[in-house]
Amino acid sequence: MTVVACTFGAPAASGETEELLTVARKLSASRETALRWLVAGPAPRPQLEELATAYGITTIDHIDDPELEAVAPDASVEALAQYCASRPPATLLLSQTFDTRLVAPRLAGRLNATVMMNALDLEVAGDALLVTASAYGGDTRAVYELPGDRPHVIAIMPNATTPEPPPDAAAGAAPVIEDVAVDLSAVEERIRLVERNAEEGPRLEDAQIIVSGGRGLGSAGNFALVEELAEALGGLAAASRPIVDDGWADSARQIGLTGKIARPALYIAAGISGASQHMAGCAAAKTIVAINSDPDAPIFRYARYGVVGDCVELLGELTRALR
Amino acid sequence: MRIVVCAKEVLDPDAVNTYAVAGRLEIGEDGRSITQAAIPRLMNAYDEQAIEAALRIRDAGVDCTIHVVSAGADQADVLKQGAAMGADEIASITVDASSLDHHGAARLLATYVEHVGGADLVLCGRQASDDDQGVVPALMGEALDMPVVTIARAVEVTSGAVRVTRVTPDAEEIVEADLPAIVTISNELGQPRYPTTAGRIAARRKQATALSPEDLGLSSDDLQPRAVLTKQFVPSVQGNCEFLTGETPAQLAASLIERLRADQVLP
Ligand SMILES: Cc1cc2nc3c(=O)[nH]c(=O)nc-3n(C[C@H](O)[C@H](O)[C@H](O)COP(=O)(O)OP(=O)(O)OC[C@H]3O[C@@H](n4cnc5c(N)ncnc54)[C@H](O)[C@@H]3O)c2cc1C
Ligand SMILES: Nc1ncnc2c1ncn2[C@@H]1O[C@H](COP(=O)(O)O)[C@@H](O)[C@H]1O
Repeated sequence: MTVVACTFGAPAASGETEELLTVARKLSASRETALRWLVAGPAPRPQLEELATAYGITTIDHIDDPELEAVAPDASVEALAQYCASRPPATLLLSQTFDTRLVAPRLAGRLNATVMMNALDLEVAGDALLVTASAYGGDTRAVYELPGDRPHVIAIMPNATTPEPPPDAAAGAAPVIEDVAVDLSAVEERIRLVERNAEEGPRLEDAQIIVSGGRGLGSAGNFALVEELAEALGGLAAASRPIVDDGWADSARQIGLTGKIARPALYIAAGISGASQHMAGCAAAKTIVAINSDPDAPIFRYARYGVVGDCVELLGELTRALR
Repeated sequence: MRIVVCAKEVLDPDAVNTYAVAGRLEIGEDGRSITQAAIPRLMNAYDEQAIEAALRIRDAGVDCTIHVVSAGADQADVLKQGAAMGADEIASITVDASSLDHHGAARLLATYVEHVGGADLVLCGRQASDDDQGVVPALMGEALDMPVVTIARAVEVTSGAVRVTRVTPDAEEIVEADLPAIVTISNELGQPRYPTTAGRIAARRKQATALSPEDLGLSSDDLQPRAVLTKQFVPSVQGNCEFLTGETPAQLAASLIERLRADQVLP
């Protein structure tokens, strides 16, 4: 019974694949079972080989099916279900994304497997698996015991693991890539795309510098101060959920549990209290700067530098000083 | 047509956050449940918005019956709120919430849908704010063989299909699926309506249908948890914040920029 790390298409630049492979390798080592990396959809093989070599993975199963080129939940679930029928894994791990939030539980339903999302840590306990998952938006950690009598489908939280290639792996042999064929001819996607307005420009997930505003900005118009400082720093503007809900900022800007999960080098939070659900989207930032008028605001627990004061004034001053 | 809305009762996440931040969140003797009596129980906010989505479909002129169903130990308040907002039918499935996992909840709710003769549309919240799993709707989708459209900000029913506007990580899109279908609702839907006095009075008279797993033909074996919560704790946050000082905002700004440059965070 193997551990399978499953990714879709070309490995993302944001490092989720490296994190996933790290978790998967540790699990297979403590279980003393085989590890396979399943890649669903077309992906450049040299890139797969390079990553596999670095992470000590000897077998890649590749479903190089053009049907899986674009995100297609029905085809993805069917392809993975066929794969699992032919090579039953004990545990199938995925990175948690917008798409796997649907694909993982549906696959589990299809396989009659146990599903667990928001996983931060895995530990082997005899036949069972202990999964530490984030709950209450990050306020608590819940540890679930998953008995070993059925397969597990587990989604790993992005940004929670430090990618760790095994020290000796780079010298290892090139991985074997096995082509896995699936038959998707009977699949008809039940969700049809009617209209799509792709978001233009750089993504918050990839940004090195983010300036983010919250309810402490006081008014919709003051979000412009966040945008101006972001521009002066060559970064992106972002927002907490309440000001998205109130229409001060576009919903694509939302950081947090139910928004974007970012890992910038610098995150400047202006007028944001630091609720766990917000921090779920930015706590992995290397340096957090908090500007808040309340010295007891929780955000200061996460911050490297804190400024107690009016964020409206400070945002303006920072922009002026940088220009 | 029949719309079934699934609504879960949760501990108020804001109160949990407040206690957790203050380092005063109490975990009970079992080591896994939050026992603080001072934390109110509420309807999961996304589920309130799911009821709102159903009511907006009715307001748009679609002829429909709206059911609100909740599985747990004591769902009276959640159901009363659903009725006060405007649900036609309310139903509770009484189970010991502490031994109910997501697979069990999905099984109960999917069986309820079959029990009432099927649904054209099932509306859920995108996730429950206690466990944040967001898996019950997808598990129901597999059990009922219905498509699942996630994270809706607007839902419209047209002849035989549901049209959903939603925000994905890289786009805003409109998608469509034939009915029957399951849709999960996100906060972008907007504020749920506040029950009117008339709605509240009518709700007081509305009887909830009380169901047990046995009434739905399910045994305790069927509901045997596959993921058992064994422990819950508050993660520690290591604070090392350096507070900057200055007489004026300009001085504070200058001192912050200086620090960030010294750390090579800024060029
Ligand atoms: C299931 C669930 C999911 C959620 N998902 C998200 C999510 O993805 N993202 C998210 O952000 N939130 C999310 N939330 C909401 C979250 O719990 C908080 O309510 C939210 O993050 C608070 O936003 P805020 O910090 O802007 O507002 P508040 O909490 O109101 O904080 C405003 C802060 O501004 C400070 N302030 C006031 N005036 C000034 C001033 N002039 N200058 C400086 N500071 C000032 C105040 O001291 C306060 O700390 C979620 C909640 C739930 C239950
Ligand atoms: N016990 C329950 N009773 C009614 N609905 C539920 C229950 N558990 C989950 N749901 C529904 O499923 C959604 C997702 O829940 P979860 O998968 O637990 O995050 C919720 O927003 C509800 O709509």
